[in-house]
Amino acid sequence: MRELNQILVPKRRSQERWFRFLLFVPTMVFLVLMVIFPLVYSVNISLYDYVRGREPRFIGLGNYLQLFQSEQFWLVTWITLRITLTCVAIEMGLGLLLGFALSQRIPGMGFFRLIIFLPMMLAPLVAGLFWRLLLDQTFGLVNFFLERIGLQPVEWLTNPRFAIWGIILTDVWQWTPFVVLLTLAGLGTIPPELQEAATLDRAHPWMRFKHIYLPYLRMPIMLAVLFRSIDTLKMFDVPYILTGGGPGDLTTTLSLLGYRNLFAFFKVGVASAISWFVVIIVNVLVNILLKILSPKRKIPTETVDTGL
Amino acid sequence: MHGEKKSAIRQTVFLIVAIAITVIFMFPLLWVIVSSFKTRLEVFLLPPKWIFLPTAQNYRDIFTSDFMYQFRNSLIIAALSMGISLFLGSLTAYGFSRYSIRGSEGLLFWILSLRMLPPIAVVIPFYLLFRSLGLLDTNAALILVYCIFNISFSIWVLKGFFDEIPIELEEAAKLDGYSPLQVFWKVSLPLARSGIATTAIFCLIQSLNEFLVALTLTTRKAVTAPVGLAKLQTFLGTDWGRISAAAVIFMIPVVVFTILVRNELIRGMSFGRMQ
Repeated sequence: MRELNQILVPKRRSQERWFRFLLFVPTMVFLVLMVIFPLVYSVNISLYDYVRGREPRFIGLGNYLQLFQSEQFWLVTWITLRITLTCVAIEMGLGLLLGFALSQRIPGMGFFRLIIFLPMMLAPLVAGLFWRLLLDQTFGLVNFFLERIGLQPVEWLTNPRFAIWGIILTDVWQWTPFVVLLTLAGLGTIPPELQEAATLDRAHPWMRFKHIYLPYLRMPIMLAVLFRSIDTLKMFDVPYILTGGGPGDLTTTLSLLGYRNLFAFFKVGVASAISWFVVIIVNVLVNILLKILSPKRKIPTETVDTGL
Repeated sequence: MHGEKKSAIRQTVFLIVAIAITVIFMFPLLWVIVSSFKTRLEVFLLPPKWIFLPTAQNYRDIFTSDFMYQFRNSLIIAALSMGISLFLGSLTAYGFSRYSIRGSEGLLFWILSLRMLPPIAVVIPFYLLFRSLGLLDTNAALILVYCIFNISFSIWVLKGFFDEIPIELEEAAKLDGYSPLQVFWKVSLPLARSGIATTAIFCLIQSLNEFLVALTLTTRKAVTAPVGLAKLQTFLGTDWGRISAAAVIFMIPVVVFTILVRNELIRGMSFGRMQ
C-alpha cells in the first residue's frame, strides 16, 4: 500500500499542477488580451491628433485639454450626471416603496412579481422604442392621458425642458424593478421572529424601519445604488433611440458624445479621450459610493454576502 | 376574530396595490403587443381603439424582411459567446472556489470591476483593431467582445454555485482515485448544473440585449436584432405596427428565458453579490 502511494503521489502532484494551470491560465490570458490591451491602445490613441483619413500626429494631452475647454463637453458631462442622480434617486425611493408593498404574502404574488421584473430583462433599446411610441407628440398615449385629465400636452422628445424627463422616465420604468428585486431579497433575509416582533411592536414606524429593516436592507441598497449609478453613467441606448441626444445636446450622454465623435466626425483621438473620461468618472464615483455606503458597523452576514 | 378580519382587509389592500403596480409596469409592453396587430392607420387613432380586427400583416412583413436574418444572427452570436464563456468561466470559477492561489482576491476583484467598464471605452480600440484585422462586421468580432462581459459574469455567479457544493463529495471521489480533472468533470460540474443553466440563460439575455458594441462593429452581415430594430425605426419612421411586431418577436426569447430563471433573478442581476 505504501509503495502504491509513493508511486501515486508524484503523479497526483503533477496532475494537480496541470489542472490548476487549466483552471486559471486560459481565462486570464483571454481577459488580459481582451481588456488590458485595448485599454492601453485606447490611452495611446487619445494622445494623438487622429482624424480618420489623416496621418495621426502625437499631441500629448492635447485632446484632453481641448475637451476641457469645450463648453459642449462640460454640458454633456453635466447632463450625464444629472440623469444619473435623478434616475438613481427616483428608482431608489420608488423601488424601496414598491418593494415593501410587494413583500406581503398574498395569492398570485409570484405572478405579479414576474410581470414587474420583466422590464429590466428587456433590451434598453427596446425600452427606448416603447417609450418613443408612448411619448410621441401627436399620437402618443401619454399626451392623450394628460389631455384627458386636463393638462397641456408636452413635446416629450423635442422640448428642451422635457426631453431629459423622457429619458429619465424610460430608465425609471425599466430599472425600478431592479431595486424592487433587491429590496425583496433583503427583506426575505429578515428572520420571521424579528418580523413578527416588528408588527407587534408599537414603536414609531421610523424607529422600526431603522432598527429592524435597515440593517437587512443596507446591502441591497448599496448594491442597487452602485449598479444603477454605474449603468446610468454609461447610458447610451435610450438617448440614442429616444431623442438622438437632442434637442441640441440636451439629452446627449458622454457615451453618445464619444460615439458621435468616432462615427459622425471621425475624430478617433477625441473619442478615445472621452471614453477614458467615462472610465475615470465611473471609477471615481464608485469609490466615493463605496466610502459612503460601506457599513461602518457590522451588519448581519450569515445570509447576505458582504463582498465588494 | 377581530384580528383575522383586520388581516383580511390588509390582504385585500395589498392585493389591490400589487395589481395596480403590475398594471402600470406592464402597460407599455401590452401597448406594443396590441399595436403590433393594428393596421397602419389604427396605430395613430386617438382615443385608442381597444377593440379592433387584429391583422397579422405586420408580422408577415417582418417575416420576409432582413429583421429575421438579424434576429437569427443575434441568437447565433449569443449562443456561441455563451458557450465559450461558460467553458472558461466554469473552470476559473471552480478554481477560485476550491484553490487559493496567490493574489486570487485581487484577481477576483479585478474581474468584478469589469462590470464597471464602459462599452464605449472598449469599442473604440476594438473598432480600429478589428478594422485592420478584417474582422469588422463579422459574428466573430461580437462573440469575442461579448465574452469579456459574459466570462466575468460567469466567474462570479458560478463561484457562488460551486461554493455551495459540499467539499466532502469531491474528497470521496478523490479517495476513489479520481484525478482533479475527473473530480471537476464527473462530480462538481454535474452537481452545479442548475447553476450553470441559470448562468447560461443570463449570458444569452445579456448578449441578445447588447446594442452599442453591435452598432459600432457591424454594418450589414453581422447586424444583430437590436441594431436592426434601431434601423427599422430610422427607415420606417412612423410605421409603428411593423416596428412593434419586430420588437415583439425579439422579446419572445427574452421573456421565455426570464420565466425560466425567475427564481434566480437576484443572483443573475446582482452579479452573484446577493444570494
